[in-house]
Amino acid sequence: MSAFLARNRLIVLAYAGMVVLLLVTAIFSPGFLSVSNMRSTVVLAAFVGIVALGQTFVIIGGGIDLSVPWVLNSAAIVMALLCGGQDLPLVWVMPLLLAGGAFIGLVNGVGVAQFGVPPIIMTLATNVILQGLILVLTGGSPTPSAPALIQFLSVGRLGGFPVIALIWLALTLIATLLLSKAAFGRHLYALGTSATVAEFSGVPTARTTILTYVVSGLTAAFAGMLLTGYSGQAYLGMGDAYLFTSIAAVAIGGASILGGSGHYLGTVAGAMVLTILTGLLPALNLSSGALLVVYGAVILITVSIGSETFAGLGGRIRGRRA
Amino acid sequence: MDLVTVNGLSKRYGGIVALSEAAFSARVGEVHALLGENGAGKSTFIQILSGAVQHDGGSILIDGQDYRPANPDAARARGIAAVFQELSLIPDLSVEQNIWFRHEPRTLLGTVNRGEMHRRTLALLEKYDFPALRPEQELRRLTLAERQIVEIAKGLAKDPRILILDEATSALPAREAEWLLKLTRQLAAEGRLVIFISHRMAEVRAIADRLTIFRNGSTVAAHEANAVSDDEIVTQMIGRHLDRLYPERVPTMTDRIALKVANLASGSRLSGVDFSLREGEVLGVGGLQGHGQRELFQALFGATKANGTIELWGKPTAIGNPRQALTGKDGIALVPEDRRGQGLLLTKSVRENLTLSVIKRFTENGLLSRQKEAALVKEMVDFLRIKAGTPEQLAGTLSGGNQQKVIFGKMLLTQARVLLLYDPTRGVDVGTKGEIFQLMRDLAAKGYAILFHSSDMPELVHVADRVLVMRNGRIAAALEGDHISEEGILRAAMLETRAA
Repeated sequence: MSAFLARNRLIVLAYAGMVVLLLVTAIFSPGFLSVSNMRSTVVLAAFVGIVALGQTFVIIGGGIDLSVPWVLNSAAIVMALLCGGQDLPLVWVMPLLLAGGAFIGLVNGVGVAQFGVPPIIMTLATNVILQGLILVLTGGSPTPSAPALIQFLSVGRLGGFPVIALIWLALTLIATLLLSKAAFGRHLYALGTSATVAEFSGVPTARTTILTYVVSGLTAAFAGMLLTGYSGQAYLGMGDAYLFTSIAAVAIGGASILGGSGHYLGTVAGAMVLTILTGLLPALNLSSGALLVVYGAVILITVSIGSETFAGLGGRIRGRRA
Repeated sequence: MDLVTVNGLSKRYGGIVALSEAAFSARVGEVHALLGENGAGKSTFIQILSGAVQHDGGSILIDGQDYRPANPDAARARGIAAVFQELSLIPDLSVEQNIWFRHEPRTLLGTVNRGEMHRRTLALLEKYDFPALRPEQELRRLTLAERQIVEIAKGLAKDPRILILDEATSALPAREAEWLLKLTRQLAAEGRLVIFISHRMAEVRAIADRLTIFRNGSTVAAHEANAVSDDEIVTQMIGRHLDRLYPERVPTMTDRIALKVANLASGSRLSGVDFSLREGEVLGVGGLQGHGQRELFQALFGATKANGTIELWGKPTAIGNPRQALTGKDGIALVPEDRRGQGLLLTKSVRENLTLSVIKRFTENGLLSRQKEAALVKEMVDFLRIKAGTPEQLAGTLSGGNQQKVIFGKMLLTQARVLLLYDPTRGVDVGTKGEIFQLMRDLAAKGYAILFHSSDMPELVHVADRVLVMRNGRIAAALEGDHISEEGILRAAMLETRAA
């Protein structure tokens, strides 16, 4: 157990931070710990958490995916357009859009792994291209409302639990299996730690890299459809907030932004922390501008605590060569 | 009076004692060799001297005055400079910018005086007869050996009274290593103290006036260099009598050809290479450095693009990348040149490193079996006597010799029986060197086929069954039996036409 704590100190820290934040929030806003409020917090965190799943994989592998906002937004808008408010078309629209998200991820991954385009440039470019395509497609006009079935997935309940929380739980299990129990996880951590060592060790580095971006495209597209259900409709710009939050959730969760470490279990805590924060800050009666400043500062502080721990670790390694 | 006097020096990292009661003294104008196995405390000692880390106990006197530098700048102010194995250079800067980094000559306005910097660089390079270096060249274009030379220039630019050279020759080709030894004598003659660390006994013999031997963090002995034999030194370094460094060479090769290479070519560095490696054979690859040895090994491992035919155990094989090379029992595995950059994930555990190339061997129904993995790890830790606290210890915290053992273990687990060993003993202590040579002979006896490059020529002479000598990207000669000697290798490496 202590070995587990030592290895996953940053993840444990993220959960500890989450609990502290919950308690602090409860002091400023006494109703915060109520069942209904916790339920809505988890639902909001789930959207961040799902987008951040793919982002976690990409970042552990040493990359970054800046295309999530418009992959998410494109899936949301195209779904609304194709379904026209009806449930039945979802049968083919959902698989189609998941495939679409995966395809964007494939393009990102191939650009990065095969053509050596830096991840920031590659994913920023696909993001802008998607944004342009969607603007052309909609002409700026509003889309039909979301189908009822997708609303059930986002805001419905099953046995008292939000459906989306159950979906998130299932995705967390799958991600944990992939990272901790499958060859893919070993390959991914090796790749993010040193691409050269991974290559020399026979790790399929290109395939692994591409796969992370494909997963990221998948989860962003999926989140886009669910978010449409939550808002009742799709609108331009609905994905913008998820660029920052998906990366911040990974970082708060203890992953090194340079790759090679971290875990989705940490990201889950990171998504919760970010969502609780957005609940806490309004209770402090700050203006919306000041709110953003505090929000950003808190994230900066949280993440730098983590990276200092990493710097200490690096120092120990260098110190012990004799 | 002694320039440096160290008494009772100690240093701990957490629970690990790196130095305890170390003593040392050295005079002005001498070359003082520091000897010891990896992990003996040499590096910690020079890190303390150079201000990189601070000692916990004991005293250091320089000119009879207490010395306790808070950082490398403080050490520099007292006239101490160090050239480390791990380079501290910045790839984006030019050679001269690196040499004067943070100590650039200034103009009256406080900007960098480029003209002055250039003049000083040229003067420095000329004074110490540096091998060809272009001051304005970007560092990233330089080879490892050239970078090491820049690092030495950077140390000298500080005009130190005490210069510490930490295995500075290990990255240098023969001619440059020769130059460095001459330089070391020159510096001593100028009245400086040179503290010299090397694992090559011949070098220590050639230049050291005195030597101090470390073992397990303590000083074991200090000698006048000409008053002690190699045998005594090695015995004191490893704490027991080492029968001999090189194992007996019993021929174990069969007629079966494990690896057959025909007309292998890669870029401008490798062309028309033909040879065969037999089962049970240790085949050496020698020659002056930079004559295609690196490209040959990388091409065989699929790490560089190459043309030509490669047959493994009689079957033509296309090796497009390391993954293909490592596939299956008929594969081919490599101990790479750069242990830290190509071989090991330093921030990951011994376990994860050992099994990285063989994840399939402990995967059941798509899931990893930790028990099966633990069995594989234990097999290698026991077989190679890897000294790690637990398999969860981070690879970066092991000594150099143990890091190399982890890489050997990783390679052996792949079950490939054609092994490529590129300079496997570089920076490895003498005790582990002996173990590695013995391991190579044992593996050969079990039917492995080994291609072995070493930058240390006596190793080729004493360990290999045959030696291929490379020149200009080709095999200039294949030496066998009595023809294998340092002279024979050098002759074939340097002369124009030569047949074995």
